[in-house]
Amino acid sequence: MNDSFSIVGKKVFRQDAYAKVTGQAKFADDINFPGQLFAVMVRIASAHAKIKSIDYSEVINDSRLIKIIDHSNIPGNKLVGPIRNDQPIFCFDKVVTPGDVICMLIGENVDDLNKLKRKVKIDFEELPVLNDPLKSLEENSPLIHPEFENNLIIHYPLRKGNIEKGFADSDYIIEQTYRTAFVEHAYIEPEAVIAIPQETPNSVKIVGSIQNPFTCRKVVASVLNYPLANVRVIQAELGGSFGGKDDTMNILSARAAIGAMITGRPVKIKYTREESILESYKRHPYILNYKVGAKADGKITAMKIDIIADGGAYSSMSPFVTWRSVVQATGPYEIENVQTDVRAVYTNNPYTGAMRGFGSPQPIFAVESIMDELAIKLNITPDEIRRRNCFTSGSFTASGQKLEKHDVNLIKVLDTAVQKSGFKEKWIKYHSLQEFKSLEHKNLSFNDADSLILKEQDYLNNQNYLRKGIGLAVSYRGCSLGAEGIDAAAAYLSLQNDGSLFLLCGLSENGQGLRTTLSIVAAEVLGLTLDKIIYLDQDTSLIPDSGPTVASRATLMGGGAVKNAAVEIRNRLEKLLVDEWNLAGDAVFTFANDKVKYFGGGAKEISFNELCALAYKKGISLSAMGWYKGPDVHWNEETGQGSAYFTYVYGCQVAEVTLNMATGEVFIDNLIAVHNPGRVINLLGAEGQVYGGVTQGAGYALWEEINSEKGFIKELNFDQYLIPTAKDVGKIKPYFIEGRDIYGPWGAKSLGEPTLELTAAAIANAVRNAAGKRFFNLPLNLEEIFLGKKLKAESLNRGSA
Amino acid sequence: MIPELEIIKPFSLEEAVDFLNDHPAEARIIAGGTDIIPGLMQGSKRFTGIKYLVDLQQIDELKEIIADSENITIGALLTFSQMINNDSLKNNFPLLVKSASTVGSVQIRNRATVAGNFINNAPCADSVPPLLVYNAKIKLLGVNGNYEMPLSDFLIKPYFTRLKTGEIVTQIILPKPKKEFIGDFYKLGRRRGVAISRITLAALIQIEDNKLGEIRLASGAVSPIGMRFFDLEQKYSGSVISDKLLKNISSDLGKEILKVTGLRWSSEYKVPVTQQAMYLLLERICSAHKQVK
Repeated sequence: MNDSFSIVGKKVFRQDAYAKVTGQAKFADDINFPGQLFAVMVRIASAHAKIKSIDYSEVINDSRLIKIIDHSNIPGNKLVGPIRNDQPIFCFDKVVTPGDVICMLIGENVDDLNKLKRKVKIDFEELPVLNDPLKSLEENSPLIHPEFENNLIIHYPLRKGNIEKGFADSDYIIEQTYRTAFVEHAYIEPEAVIAIPQETPNSVKIVGSIQNPFTCRKVVASVLNYPLANVRVIQAELGGSFGGKDDTMNILSARAAIGAMITGRPVKIKYTREESILESYKRHPYILNYKVGAKADGKITAMKIDIIADGGAYSSMSPFVTWRSVVQATGPYEIENVQTDVRAVYTNNPYTGAMRGFGSPQPIFAVESIMDELAIKLNITPDEIRRRNCFTSGSFTASGQKLEKHDVNLIKVLDTAVQKSGFKEKWIKYHSLQEFKSLEHKNLSFNDADSLILKEQDYLNNQNYLRKGIGLAVSYRGCSLGAEGIDAAAAYLSLQNDGSLFLLCGLSENGQGLRTTLSIVAAEVLGLTLDKIIYLDQDTSLIPDSGPTVASRATLMGGGAVKNAAVEIRNRLEKLLVDEWNLAGDAVFTFANDKVKYFGGGAKEISFNELCALAYKKGISLSAMGWYKGPDVHWNEETGQGSAYFTYVYGCQVAEVTLNMATGEVFIDNLIAVHNPGRVINLLGAEGQVYGGVTQGAGYALWEEINSEKGFIKELNFDQYLIPTAKDVGKIKPYFIEGRDIYGPWGAKSLGEPTLELTAAAIANAVRNAAGKRFFNLPLNLEEIFLGKKLKAESLNRGSA
Repeated sequence: MIPELEIIKPFSLEEAVDFLNDHPAEARIIAGGTDIIPGLMQGSKRFTGIKYLVDLQQIDELKEIIADSENITIGALLTFSQMINNDSLKNNFPLLVKSASTVGSVQIRNRATVAGNFINNAPCADSVPPLLVYNAKIKLLGVNGNYEMPLSDFLIKPYFTRLKTGEIVTQIILPKPKKEFIGDFYKLGRRRGVAISRITLAALIQIEDNKLGEIRLASGAVSPIGMRFFDLEQKYSGSVISDKLLKNISSDLGKEILKVTGLRWSSEYKVPVTQQAMYLLLERICSAHKQVK
């Protein structure tokens, strides 16, 4: 930690904390407008069907209905999507998953509308349903979107070196297949948005729980066929997003906007939890085949990776999500010969898109599991196999990128985690125990219930039913968007003539603490105390398009923009003081605690508010727009080679678990998380990211799973979809190893996603250590551990989960 | 969505019974509301046609705890949180208090009542197996006055009891077990907090020297409703304690449960784990008994 900072790196309370914990913060559904109407969605119970006709005759004259809106009311694009325009705002020819919406009813009362929606008669013809992504590319598979020639959304190949030679040179080869589940973001606030017609003709204002206001504006403008400037998107306080309030919210905003423009009144859409889980996208389930060849000394010679990602019904972010997978699939290991193929495919399952981690938790689970298997095969400890292969400064990644211009401090991160946890000794101790076999004894035939009755020798006793295990995982992560897209952000700072400041950035506060982080950056440069800073609401009409708030890029890019703006203002103020105090042009000032000091010949001092008043009087501009653009990166789509991201971060987590062999329960006793975020701006915020990310990662490891039964979701609320509670995860201990970086504010890079992406892998390795056997399919729930498979209820009805 | 309802707040039991009898089809009692409110939200068939919710919170006698030498009698409105914080219940009925502490979350325990737990009679009602092994009786009030019934007779099948229209459960009578009884409660959920139980077990055993005296065993969640295993109890009462015996009891419990439930999708997991959990529970009880001696 650099002591020369006055506020950067300290523990700072969130500026919005008080309003949020006292219930004063206004979330989208807390906001209402005079004359406001509501809209409810109409769906059919089918995962794949041709719409034959829609009959509104039973509702059209009902006094409780103000307007029916369907695809025929859309003036602009009827289909939207980040890359491929394949998702309808309202379905018109087919439905391809049960979350699909055919039309919406607008009226004054939601309860009335919910009664009316059952009277919309939709005649449809069922089509064959495709649920297995492994069958998506088969010749006779049903086509989800017949406008494309097959169900392939994207295929990313990556070729490096000579894979055959790599395997031929190896002494050991391991090949394994891993699977991960659909998971739900589980943001605590369900979707809500209001569209308000504006006085200027053909213009609309949107207020909602929107993660990416600029993306939302683009979608709404394209659907309404309006210029971008005619659509103003304002973000309400966001009750969690985790990547989840992007596509879904853009589409909901477009629906509300159509409704508002047609009725001339504000239209609100708010989802119940059930609707939220039904319609919103999930994290991609992956099927990952990994083949690894290594020399006897542990050096990996070749890695061949084949991944199928279930994109579900729409392409959404699949091309970006799977691109991150192809870049990072080998893990942070320098491997000469790599062949990776990642394919995303359509099915009739819920569609999948962005979620914290974004294509990294799945391959990390697979590669970190197989690294442990390799270590066990070579009779070395898991930390050692990683030390022998992991990136160091100047290493080349799978895509042939040389790691430079930042601290490649993975070994330091790993060593810190190993030392803090006592990993090596514990791992050896627990590993010496016998493979835990009793769980596999039943291969049940349901005609033979007697086989469920335990024999005397089957019983575990109170002395032997619990076991301990320890596991680690490492990861590296490309910061920000990389070769996915344009990477730049804006911030606007406006000092007032009394020394107070307002600040606005083109990136959003999504609950991650961005307002506080960016305020700290401005406060550090200008020497302000934080109570002088007011952070404005995100508003697309007040600040330039800065891209989406995703990819753990807000501190790096937004912080860079704020710093640039603050430095520009500070330079003007310094120049003013040089003139006022008759100093040399290169005079050095300190800005701290609302004071500006000069220590050269004859110390001088001025309070910050006096300085601002002076500048104002002299006609010097006290505001500035900061812009921050990442360096160029490039990617070759055919070979998967290129400088994917301009900088990277590194992490290592160590999980200790207790495995209950009598029940299959896994309890996380403690978890040590060591991360290199570049530079910590707010220590309290950084620790919060670790606690949240690890807990979410633990959910991914042990509980969370959306089951798509022929496309239908069973887990539509939190009675069935289980996220961890505070009681379910033991102590989490964060450590930060700072690195030197030339990008971002004082080298601050990324932390949000890195904290989550490797947790499940660390837990799975700890379970492996305890059980003496590998579990290949997330989540490692009771049945997965106890029976080595998942058990599913036959009915979609609610019951004991 | 919750339909429009009228909330009736009677000040006496008589008033409540009268109202319930005047509106037999349309009135339903609400105590903590932790089952009925989510049920209404979900549009559950069990709660359709309700126009009045009769809120008993004004009736103080339903919140009393009365102890005498034989019994502790608790009012039907006692919440799980109140139960957890009552020393006399903690000392005399530790299994019940342990089960209460595993119900839902703090917020749910602050609202939910023990009587509501068994009147709703969900398979997973956490407090039912302990109430059954303590031989709990309940007191009911109807138009014809008060009467008592063992809880095990009151519970019929999932979500059904012998509660008649217009009746109120007013009290739960818990006979204090004799000193030599020792027992434990076990709950398995998918997680540790806010967990719906997948398996609950309660065992209360009289141990004399190295022999089992009276045995009382009950399960929940793994059986269609919370239930006792009277045949099993009788079969093993008087047996000499051995490791093999405890395993036999557990395996027999597995058989009994299979008899009741038949094979269900979850049997492959639940049946072996129930036996294993019962064995661990019995082993712990017996070794705790040795330590006490």
